[in-house]
Amino acid sequence: MSDNPYHDDKGNKDRSIANTHGAGTMTPAHRKSGETHKVEGGPFLIGDTMTGGYGKGPDILHDCTIAVDKGEIAVIVGPNGAGKSTAMKAVFGMLDVRAGAVRLDGEDITNLTPQDRVQRGMGFVPQTSNIFTSMTVEENLEMGAFIRRDDFSQTMEQVYDLFPILRDKRNQAAGELSGGQRQQVAVGRALMTQPKVLMLDEPTAGVSPIVMDELFDRIIEVSRTGLPILMVEQNARQALEIADKGYVLVQGRNAYTGTGKELLADPEVRKSFLGG
Amino acid sequence: MDFLNALVALSNFVLVPAIAYGSQLALGALGVTLIYGILRFSNFAHGDTMAFGAMIAVLVTWGLQAAGVSFGPLPTALLALPFAILGCIVLVLITDRLVYRFYREQKAKPVILVIVSMGVMFIMNGLVRFIIGPDDQRFSDGARFIVSARDFKAMTGLREGLAIKTSQGITVIVAVVAVALLFWFLNKTRTGKSMRAYSDNEDLALLSGINPERVVMITWIIVAALATTAGVLYGLDKSFKPFVYFQLLLPIFASAIVGGLGSPLGAIAGGFIIAFSEVTITYAWKKVLTYLAPEGLEPSGLVQFLSTDYKFAVSFVILLIVLLFKPTGLFKGKAV
Repeated sequence: MSDNPYHDDKGNKDRSIANTHGAGTMTPAHRKSGETHKVEGGPFLIGDTMTGGYGKGPDILHDCTIAVDKGEIAVIVGPNGAGKSTAMKAVFGMLDVRAGAVRLDGEDITNLTPQDRVQRGMGFVPQTSNIFTSMTVEENLEMGAFIRRDDFSQTMEQVYDLFPILRDKRNQAAGELSGGQRQQVAVGRALMTQPKVLMLDEPTAGVSPIVMDELFDRIIEVSRTGLPILMVEQNARQALEIADKGYVLVQGRNAYTGTGKELLADPEVRKSFLGG
Repeated sequence: MDFLNALVALSNFVLVPAIAYGSQLALGALGVTLIYGILRFSNFAHGDTMAFGAMIAVLVTWGLQAAGVSFGPLPTALLALPFAILGCIVLVLITDRLVYRFYREQKAKPVILVIVSMGVMFIMNGLVRFIIGPDDQRFSDGARFIVSARDFKAMTGLREGLAIKTSQGITVIVAVVAVALLFWFLNKTRTGKSMRAYSDNEDLALLSGINPERVVMITWIIVAALATTAGVLYGLDKSFKPFVYFQLLLPIFASAIVGGLGSPLGAIAGGFIIAFSEVTITYAWKKVLTYLAPEGLEPSGLVQFLSTDYKFAVSFVILLIVLLFKPTGLFKGKAV
């Protein structure tokens, strides 16, 4: 990308003429949505033997498979640089999947843009910049429901019931909230579309242990409503404790796969990733 | 009595013209700040967008006048304004489609868009001169004054008169209505909020299902409407001359930057700060001071800090001071 003259950064730091605040960084694999087709069976959401990388770059994922079924929490763990977030982005259409497929609810959606995946019912919470900082909490939730044309006040009430602190701060700018509260706003925003599956990219990154426990509790609560949750987690042990399904990735490949309990009990996994 | 006379003279020569000029600058700066906040670059073609919109208003006004249509005591240009706005919207949307969209698709850095906008500026500049010529055009009609100096003197018995031009009154009223509409739109409507969301965090807006191309289109439409309104009001107040709009770019940018780029509230405040500084510094204070000073101490000179020829120096100096000491502007501009 660096050889693209349009991306030359020279002179771009002059804030009196160039505004880089909030500029888009996403590079969707497809600019326009391609064909989708029906498929039979399989889990609710699956990234099946995905191989791919960003743009024209090298492959980062190699035959990587991650899936989540209804009512489950699936967790992706692994060492730094293992491609956890990349796998998640591949499922969401922000990575060029060169081999393999992504299927949602009996439909092959490999060729859809991220926006169209949101329309099909995927809710995605990015790891960073996942709220509109200059807007109020309520406006954040309203923007989450942007694609809905019906009355979403019911859903907003549900989000407030799930995260009561947000109800108190509804008229405060989201950027003024603490780290844990921001994550609640971020998850709440994704829930506003009433997604069929929720994808969380390191929801507990950068929050204190107490807040982390609370966030995990809330995630379990969300999952009890029957919403499948796929998440990437840095805190492997805690994440696997609440996981129905766990994927340990190493260098873009599936290293170990099993239920959360199996992985926690697996001596190999314990030794390599959980610190004994 | 002397104090009242001083006050009236001050209002007549400083306050009223500065409020009208400030409103025009504020409308212009709002357009600049919206482009900066949402499209993320400083639009150097803004002055010439104003000129183009005002030019259509002039042409339509002439057409209406030839057809014998008039708006009573109000200038016919107000009737022409909606047509001018439409024409200007068409121009900016075509420009966006032909020029800016290409760079957006390349995800070009903002500084490149700034240079692109300069190119657009020269084209628009040429277009306007090609169509209407480089000369001064008068197109204001209707009643010239709301309150004329003579009536005011007769009414109050003061030595000083206070004149309020129709164009000045209209400027302030139209500006207030336009700003109120804009703020209502940005803060209360779904589309307006989606524009703020896009300005705040483009990626997340995309993930929320907000269509960037639609946001960009609506931004251009609003900017064209604001620019045309500002251009027509300025033209009614002074006169229409293409080159003057190009020159207006400096005070408009100064207003937007003083207020804080990206902040609509800042653009308005900045507009008035620049207007008041420009007018007070280039005004010859002799008359006002003569009324106020004790006997024998009246100033003998004009007490004019700068000749009006240098009025652009005022915005330039303010711009420099703000960039040196408070680069984010008074309202800490960031997102719309």
